[in-house]
Amino acid sequence: MMSESPAREEQAYWSPYLAGVGLGLTLLLTFYVMGHGLGASGAFTQWTANLLYWVAPGHAQANTYLSAYLKVGSFWQSWIVLEIFGVLLGGFLGAVTARRFRFQIEQGARISRRGRLLLALLGGVAVGFGARLAQGCTSGQALSGGAVLAVGSWLFTLMFFAGGYILASLVRREWQ
Amino acid sequence: MKGPLVPSEILSSEMGLVFAVIAGILFGFFLERAGFGSPKKLTAIFYFQDFAVLRVMFTAVVVAMIGLLFLGGIGQIDLGSLAIPPTYLWPQALGGLLIGLGFVVGGY
Repeated sequence: MMSESPAREEQAYWSPYLAGVGLGLTLLLTFYVMGHGLGASGAFTQWTANLLYWVAPGHAQANTYLSAYLKVGSFWQSWIVLEIFGVLLGGFLGAVTARRFRFQIEQGARISRRGRLLLALLGGVAVGFGARLAQGCTSGQALSGGAVLAVGSWLFTLMFFAGGYILASLVRREWQ
Repeated sequence: MKGPLVPSEILSSEMGLVFAVIAGILFGFFLERAGFGSPKKLTAIFYFQDFAVLRVMFTAVVVAMIGLLFLGGIGQIDLGSLAIPPTYLWPQALGGLLIGLGFVVGGY
């Protein structure tokens, strides 16, 4: 026993299986209540549609892809936008209660801060474009589509891991 | 109560929006506890160091899948009315590939 309680010590991450069961039950509950699963990237498309409508309403309505998102109404009537606000809050609560909340940019020692941020931007562009192409990201396709055995979602998941392994050696310095 | 609750109008769509925040909080909390707030941990799978990403995702998928089959089996959910992502093989393959490439470069 330690005599002093390590009050500031960060909690360890949960076992991946325990966290996976928690996540799986959340997904199950979402299917039970909503009839669909969890998502993430769709919130950004909703924001894009609403922001574009705010700046140039005619242009937004003329865009076949984005006009479908305008039918939802405002931000606050969009299920996925509200869900993502919840994700931010849940992640924040998780980090604070585990005493690991801090402002930082995680990176390996052998890359500049600028390089890391530039790559984050490039990666984000690829992820954003890919998510619209596939109609979902790792949440909507891999997780939610995977749980209902959607064929395309499983293909998506395989290709996702393939993509990661293809580029990993090239950006090793960014993380290691 | 036979699910899905909101599509069968047992719960109103306004309650569905309240539930969105709750589901999001749980989603974010478990992802954080899994260590998915850390891009180093997220990308470690691609260097064969830490397979948490695969373990968490696969466990979640299997738990939800078995739960849905169970609820369907005891008649507590209408599996036929669940939203299943439509199949577009090429876009989903290419989109998945792009997200994988972007994920290891961007860290999320």
